[in-house]
Amino acid sequence: MQERVAEPAGQRNGQGGQKELEEQVLRTGLCTGCGACVNLCPYQAIYQDRTVLLHPCDLAQGRCYDFCPRTPTDRDALRRNFQEAADCTPELGAVKGFFITRAADGNLRCRAQHGGSVTALMALALREGLIDAAVLVEEGEGLLPRSVTVTDPNEAGERGRSRLVVSPTVAEFNRIVRGDAAKIGVVATPCQAIAFAKMRALPLSESNAGIEKLRLVVGLFCGWALSWRKLAPLLKKKTDIARVIGMDIPPSRYHTLEVYTSGETIRVSLDEIDPCVREACRSCDDMTAEFSDLSVGSARLPEGWETARGWNQVIVRTKQGMDLLELARRRGVLEFREAPPGNLEKLKAASLGKKRAAERFFGRDVADEETTQAG
Amino acid sequence: MNGHLVKDPYNIVITGVGGQGNVMASRVLSNMLVRKGFKVTIGETFGMSQRGGSVMSHIRVSPTAVWSPQIPKGTADLIVALEPIEAIRVLADYGNPTVKILVNLRAIYPVGVITGEDEYPSTTVIRETVMALAAQARFLDATDEAIRLGNPILGNIVMIGAVAGMKVLPIDRELFEAVIRDGMPAARVEANLRAFAIGEANVA
Amino acid sequence: MSLDREQKEGAELLLMGNEAIARGALEAGVRVAAGYPGTPSSEIIETLSRFSEAGKLYVEWSTNEKVAMEVAAAASFAGLRSLCVMKQNGVNVASDFLLHLTGSGTRGGMVLVTCDDPGALSSVNEGESRHFARLMEIPLLEPSDFREAKEMTRWAFTLSEAIRNVVMVRSVTRMSHASGNVVLGALPEIAGKAAFCCDGPVSDPDCGPVISTPVVAKHRLQQEKLRGATTLFEESPFNAYEGPEDPELLIITSSVCTLYSREALSLLRAEGRTGILKLGTTWPVPPALLKKRLASAKKVLIVEEVLPFLEDQVKILAAEQAHEIGIKEFYGKNDGTLPMVGELNPDLVAAAVGRILGIDPPSVPAEYREKLTALTALVPKREQTFCPGCPHRASFWGIREALQRDHRGGFVCGDIGCYAMASLFPAAGFHTAKTLHSMGSGTGIASGFGKLGPFGMEQPVLAVCGDSTFYHAAIPALINAVHHRADITFIALDNSGTAMTGFQSHPGLEVNAMGEAAPMVDIAALCRAIGAPVVVGDPFALTETRETLNRLLEEPGVKVLILKQSCALSPGKKGKKTFLVRVDETLCRGDACGCNRLCTRIFRCPGLLWNRDRKKAEIDEVICAGCGFCAGICPAGAIRNEEAAKS
Ligand SMILES: Cc1cc2nc3c(=O)[nH]c(=O)nc-3n(C[C@H](O)[C@H](O)[C@H](O)COP(=O)(O)OP(=O)(O)OC[C@H]3O[C@@H](n4cnc5c(N)ncnc54)[C@H](O)[C@@H]3O)c2cc1C
Ligand code: SF4
Ligand code: SF4
Ligand code: SF4
Repeated sequence: MQERVAEPAGQRNGQGGQKELEEQVLRTGLCTGCGACVNLCPYQAIYQDRTVLLHPCDLAQGRCYDFCPRTPTDRDALRRNFQEAADCTPELGAVKGFFITRAADGNLRCRAQHGGSVTALMALALREGLIDAAVLVEEGEGLLPRSVTVTDPNEAGERGRSRLVVSPTVAEFNRIVRGDAAKIGVVATPCQAIAFAKMRALPLSESNAGIEKLRLVVGLFCGWALSWRKLAPLLKKKTDIARVIGMDIPPSRYHTLEVYTSGETIRVSLDEIDPCVREACRSCDDMTAEFSDLSVGSARLPEGWETARGWNQVIVRTKQGMDLLELARRRGVLEFREAPPGNLEKLKAASLGKKRAAERFFGRDVADEETTQAG
Repeated sequence: MNGHLVKDPYNIVITGVGGQGNVMASRVLSNMLVRKGFKVTIGETFGMSQRGGSVMSHIRVSPTAVWSPQIPKGTADLIVALEPIEAIRVLADYGNPTVKILVNLRAIYPVGVITGEDEYPSTTVIRETVMALAAQARFLDATDEAIRLGNPILGNIVMIGAVAGMKVLPIDRELFEAVIRDGMPAARVEANLRAFAIGEANVA
Repeated sequence: MSLDREQKEGAELLLMGNEAIARGALEAGVRVAAGYPGTPSSEIIETLSRFSEAGKLYVEWSTNEKVAMEVAAAASFAGLRSLCVMKQNGVNVASDFLLHLTGSGTRGGMVLVTCDDPGALSSVNEGESRHFARLMEIPLLEPSDFREAKEMTRWAFTLSEAIRNVVMVRSVTRMSHASGNVVLGALPEIAGKAAFCCDGPVSDPDCGPVISTPVVAKHRLQQEKLRGATTLFEESPFNAYEGPEDPELLIITSSVCTLYSREALSLLRAEGRTGILKLGTTWPVPPALLKKRLASAKKVLIVEEVLPFLEDQVKILAAEQAHEIGIKEFYGKNDGTLPMVGELNPDLVAAAVGRILGIDPPSVPAEYREKLTALTALVPKREQTFCPGCPHRASFWGIREALQRDHRGGFVCGDIGCYAMASLFPAAGFHTAKTLHSMGSGTGIASGFGKLGPFGMEQPVLAVCGDSTFYHAAIPALINAVHHRADITFIALDNSGTAMTGFQSHPGLEVNAMGEAAPMVDIAALCRAIGAPVVVGDPFALTETRETLNRLLEEPGVKVLILKQSCALSPGKKGKKTFLVRVDETLCRGDACGCNRLCTRIFRCPGLLWNRDRKKAEIDEVICAGCGFCAGICPAGAIRNEEAAKS
């Protein structure tokens, strides 16, 4: 794991409490539903996939504001805390290595989203005692996912597949960090990974007590997540949502969302899905979970999507991440194949695309963008 | 009629907070005075004020006439406060240079104080304020005495005992006993008599 | 000390105005008394219920005031003396029946006692019932002291029988809830059998059917009888003049204002210059008496509370007789001498009289006054809130948590009862309750809001209603909501009693006003019968309440949640703690980030204290009711419940 750096995340970090959180994040639609502000105190809660305020809190400064990934954050200072300057790229953050992998266990792959690398790595970390608890996500009722803590590596194998509705993973971490677990690993979307990074960057004190238990952050690539209140009624019109077992977004040229039910695959045009995209995601500039130890997404292979969907691309960002991946290779948990030429460049372009969109959302750096286009 | 009053009407305010037995105290005291042959009028505000609000009884005592159930401002002769800041609240409206006042020092904090929004004055401040404004002021820990007797609600009777002890009204222990024997289950009479005696001794 | 059967004729007792009224009815031989609880009227029926006896005196808490009046009217039709009692709002509820009843007339003496609340000391309005007397054309009597409260009530029955119509006796909070010396009169031998004679022709007032038609003929008869009453009023001892024969100023007053007026003159030492005409019969005012007194003075001040009811009558009479008694200078409401809102007191009247006569009311020395003024800064206000251990606090906490989670801006339509506090003092209801009107109106308003979905309203609508209010007026509104498929969540806050006014019985209990066993009318069964799905819960079970509510908020149509938990002040609970509650200081997070005083800052139960010095929460053992609910909200588990020893 990275060295802890004593200095705080940076001077540009804003300060505030619940009131500022409400004004700057919740009211403006920037809230990702990560749950970083939940389970710290009695004032915030997650309901369905939304973060809500239960009662007003009048503290001028608080953890809710400090931990939230959407309050002003000096990202460079945050990066310096965990990542080596030499690894840093402007498009993807730190890149120590780039790999194409999949779980060696075919059974596991069947129950995974793509290559099952994430599940295989989490199960390995548990089995090897690198962590003793893993915060994962499982399907809940009516397409509403649940963040859960798992201690048994076999159970981790049951928690594969991506839930495209946000799950309050950081809230679950906040809940268990006060409990028995000593070494915790998490699977996090990019926004959640930023929350964890902010928690880690604070000088260790009563306010972020327990954060030293966080030993592993496996990030997920993320284009956007969906709003449950909008998605559920839409899918209800198309199928019995109790039968839905998974969803995926094939490469952009398909322009569809695939919904897998026990019997069939339903394809919904992204034009229909677009209004269901969570508002906060339109202003998110991180596609590859830059603040993780390693991050995982779907692969792009010359054989086409049907093959590629069984593989992952992995960006290793920290020494910790690299050690885990190498361990997986040694133990035969992951299979590796050569990354096709140009893959990293394509990923960089896609990542940059998301950053641009976020800038446009905030109406920032338009001139900058024009120069880039001109050049 | 045994005993006389310094004024006609003699104006008493009994004040406290809902739940302190204010109404009961004013009834007991007034019944004692009716037995002495006085015309007594009690004006009470209750209803919503039962729930944590200030409760005030106005007692008018006269040898001859029925007076208004509201005492005119600035004309209280005796203030009996079951709660310290209520003493000050009543003084502000009904105080005058000749007023006598009896204060139970047990505070019942208003919601605003509980929540930390408002400040409750210290006992020293309360004592000094009351003493500076009243012709005679007596303080006691009636609620503590009552808790020692086994029931905090007896604080109101301790206060009635203290009123008797102040010797400003023609009332005594026998009269008290006669009144409560009339309106109370026999089992509770003993504790009430003890509460009265403690109050009486406390200011005598 | 309160009125009971043991007390003998001739005894001089300290009676509350309401007890004096009850005693008056008893001395008149009242046989049936019905009412609906409402401050400041409730003690009248309560007192009478202690005197109830099969075949001699029947007493009931009716489901609402209209029913109470109907029950009392039936007794009158059957030849018995009857009483119905209500607070000012109740007369509005009963007024539809009252209009027809005064048209049909009565048989056995029937008295309507109403207790008004000028200044709204315990109401959400200061509406007046006096105007109903004029509207319904029935006599109005207003006692000015405790002795009169008894005497007048007794005489009202006689008058009712003389005019064969209802007589209204009107009290106010400062009379009903004040006490004074009353000498008891004899209680009559109770005799007479109930029988409704109805075989005769419509025109027969003794044996015909009792109806208000033929309207014009009956109306004419009613007015004739009323004129008869006015003649009696001319000589009534309830109207009296005191003061010099030709006063500089004539005060015309009634009710408790008589005492204020006397006190004002005493304060100003103006008794020699001012006369007081105190009227006990205030509708219709006796014209000859008034004329005589008006003739004797040039300046006239009418002292009454809220609206100019007497003032209007006096001015009309003065105008009619101006050619004989001359032109008067009037002071009262219309010229602003006295306020048209709020209650009066001796100081307000003294100031008014002082202005007219040019006398300064006495006051404490200026220097002392200054010191008194400085005191206000020292005294923190006493905000009203739910009692320690109150189930309503828990209910609203659950509602708040559910509505905040739901996140669509849902709100509660409030209603009348203790839980009105949630609307009156927003912090007490955790800022959820947003409307408050008359009994049962919360449900009716919600029913209306619940149809606004097609107009774009996305907010979920809740209505709360106490058990007593449910039977009183919420049922028709709930039926309306069901029939019209309004989208509402109806929450019955069932605390097993009419707590607001002192635990009177109601149809949801297995006992009646006379302490007899009575069949209980089940709220849940009633709601199911009208087709609403019903969930019954305990407000102290927070998670369950919240989850149930969140589920119900998602469902269309009318959903009923009954939150059942008896009132903290109920006889079964008062003084008994379920838990010994304490705060573990080592765990309490206090005002640090992570709690910031949830219990004392937001939950605000008076049993919890914030210790400023130690920066920790505490339990005040004397005040804490031991319900243990706060242990469930503390994020740190610092509030601990220990099973209290059963005593
Ligand atoms: C909302 C969302 C959007 C995504 N968008 C893209 C994208 O645009 N491009 C891309 O390449 N990849 C995207 N991914 C990642 C992709 O879906 C796969 O998770 C990733 O390729 C790893 O595959 P795998 O087979 O190793 O995963 P698996 O082995 O199936 O493991 C998936 C892991 O993710 C966890 N998880 C599931 N849902 C969530 C959630 N909502 N929040 C947090 N953790 C969760 C599970 O607990 C499990 O540990 C997205 C994932 C999510 C959750
Ligand atoms: S985290 Fe701290 S500042 Fe934020 S709402 Fe909770 S107690 Fe208040
Ligand atoms: S983004 Fe996360 S931390 Fe910020 S307000 Fe939303 S749930 Fe809370
Ligand atoms: S809620 Fe609990 S932690 Fe917070 S102040 Fe109260 S007792 Fe302390």
